Amino acid sequence: MKLKKLIRKLENYLDADARERKEHRDEMKTLLQKMKTKEKNLAAKALVEFDENRLATLRKQIDMVHAQRKKGISALKELVDKHESTD
Amino acid sequence: MVKRLLLPVVLLMLAGGFWLSADFKTISAGVAIFLFGMLSLEQGFSAFTGGLLERVLKRATSSHLRSLGFGMLSTAVMQSSSLVSVIAISFLSAGLISLAAGIGIVFGANLGTTTGAWLIAGFGLKVDIAKYAMPMLVFGIVLLFQSSSKLKGTGSVLCGLGFLFLGIYYMKEGFEAFKSTIDLARYSVSGYPGVLLFMLIGVFATVVMQSSHATLVLIITALAAQQITYENALALAIGANIGTTITAVLSALNATASGKRLAVAHLIFNLVTALISVALIFHLVDLVDWTATMLGIDSTDYTLKLAIFHTIFNLGGVLIMLPFINTLVRFLERVIPDRIPEVDQPLYLSSASAEFPNTAIEAVKNETLRVYDAAVNIISSGMGLAREGGGNRIQVVKNFDGKPLTGESGIDAMYEKHVKSIYSAILVFISDTAFPRKEEHASTLQWLREANVQIVEAIKDTKHLQKNLQRFMVSGNPDIRHSYNRIRHHIAAIIQEILDIRQQQDGVMDMLALDALKLTIDEHKNSMADEMTKLIASRKISPQMGSSLLNDSTYAHDVSMNLVLAAQTLFGASEPELLHAARSVTLDVNDRDTILEETTMPKSDGKTMVQE
Repeated sequence: MKLKKLIRKLENYLDADARERKEHRDEMKTLLQKMKTKEKNLAAKALVEFDENRLATLRKQIDMVHAQRKKGISALKELVDKHESTD
Repeated sequence: MVKRLLLPVVLLMLAGGFWLSADFKTISAGVAIFLFGMLSLEQGFSAFTGGLLERVLKRATSSHLRSLGFGMLSTAVMQSSSLVSVIAISFLSAGLISLAAGIGIVFGANLGTTTGAWLIAGFGLKVDIAKYAMPMLVFGIVLLFQSSSKLKGTGSVLCGLGFLFLGIYYMKEGFEAFKSTIDLARYSVSGYPGVLLFMLIGVFATVVMQSSHATLVLIITALAAQQITYENALALAIGANIGTTITAVLSALNATASGKRLAVAHLIFNLVTALISVALIFHLVDLVDWTATMLGIDSTDYTLKLAIFHTIFNLGGVLIMLPFINTLVRFLERVIPDRIPEVDQPLYLSSASAEFPNTAIEAVKNETLRVYDAAVNIISSGMGLAREGGGNRIQVVKNFDGKPLTGESGIDAMYEKHVKSIYSAILVFISDTAFPRKEEHASTLQWLREANVQIVEAIKDTKHLQKNLQRFMVSGNPDIRHSYNRIRHHIAAIIQEILDIRQQQDGVMDMLALDALKLTIDEHKNSMADEMTKLIASRKISPQMGSSLLNDSTYAHDVSMNLVLAAQTLFGASEPELLHAARSVTLDVNDRDTILEETTMPKSDGKTMVQE
């Protein structure tokens, strides 16, 4: 069992493409986490904002982060699908 | 003439030497293999300079002692003080580290290089080193055939170490065989004349081989074979320390003023250390004897005693010079000043900063930021926007007559003076810089080139826009003046927003936040088109004024959009590890249209409302 695990680790190290794909997945996950935090912070700010103009700006920013996150999630899904199909 | 003849003469002399003595051939082959090993080792380590080394370097230079430690450790690991010095010059030229940090690294590198003497004297001469070389070479070559750059780098490092060991083995063998035919020790010179003569030989040998490490191995193997006296070996080691600065000096010839300062600091340090060592050489010999006794080293083990001497005189130099780092920095800044040219010149682009991918990117990013700041000043001047109290608040100047605010004779002149030279240098630098190993470096440089093109486009569009601005800002028609003022307010708001986001310094999140500005820019363009239609329909402006306004709102759109796009590239480049992911989530024009459609829907009275 340990030997199998060791061989798999060695295979992963030697497979540059797989390693690169994993790096991309990890990058995207980190970025999505950051964006999620940002969206939450903006939403919290919007809740206590009474100025119409500033509220409109905040809403625009929330919509934008939301759209970016959606794009990121589908990109991550694609990366995961690719990973599963190659394994 | 001399330069042209030098190479054939050296080759002929070597060939003659090989013909006369087989042992000389073995020693020379040992030196050649050793130098090839160093090249391979450097090549291997430069495969890892795409991130790790730079990240460590950035963090490890926050104080003099940390810089010193970094220089020492990295040289001990890479066994090349020259490589570490060249990296330090390259980082300094790219504006990544300060001169004081660079000096700390160079001092540390001098200490780190002493580990080489210990390794060879303590390990290389006492075991059959060639046995270790063989498997390293085999594994190294297998890894060299892999496609991954990291595996190739590991392969080069292994091959490098293998060749280093093999080179040491041949030098050792050569000197031992040499001993039976000729005794070089007969040519030893004692006293100060000997110290000076052998010091000069050490300088010459190191300048030729461009490696103090190789000279030191040669000295140690010759000393072990008793081909040179202990006293002369010490002088040779001092000479090697002076000669090693040649690599740094050569690499700084084309470097920026800061790069040159570091190379001179390196030279000063090694010269001062050498002078002190020469002056106190006989006291140092006593100190070495005492240290050897304390460490339990045999009094006749001259190779290990040489390693002790090498360490003591470098350590002494560091201890003497370390308190004077700041004085040295001030002195060098006075002696090698930054040139103040009539036309703004690049500050960070040099062949030294092109040595490594990350320093090249950092240098281009820093220059692009300069171009960007200059462009914002030009655009602000052309649009009649001033900085409140010279600070970061953009103010729209009232009663603006459309002429540029600065005293300079127009946008073209400002572009020639502040942008053109740097812009051209950036384009040439990127074209000349090729990093085939890592695609991401090449693509980051391409993005930065694109950012420069966008910035220059923004200036050109401002120039076009400014023509009508001069006409209509003094027009008697209040509606057209109002429309052009709207354009000025819009550009001011965009510049202000970019400035505010830039101050957050949140890398890719700043880059993504700028997407919201693109929405604002699109909305503004649509709104300007609506306004123009209404003004023409109500006969408040003439159709000619309307067409000018339409064209100019497109120019304003392009100015703003190009500034945002360039800023996105610049802000994203400060967090390269997430750049690839961030690029894939930025919103393109279709995404923005979808958001605009989703967030604004027509009400029954024809106005728009923001959806809840």
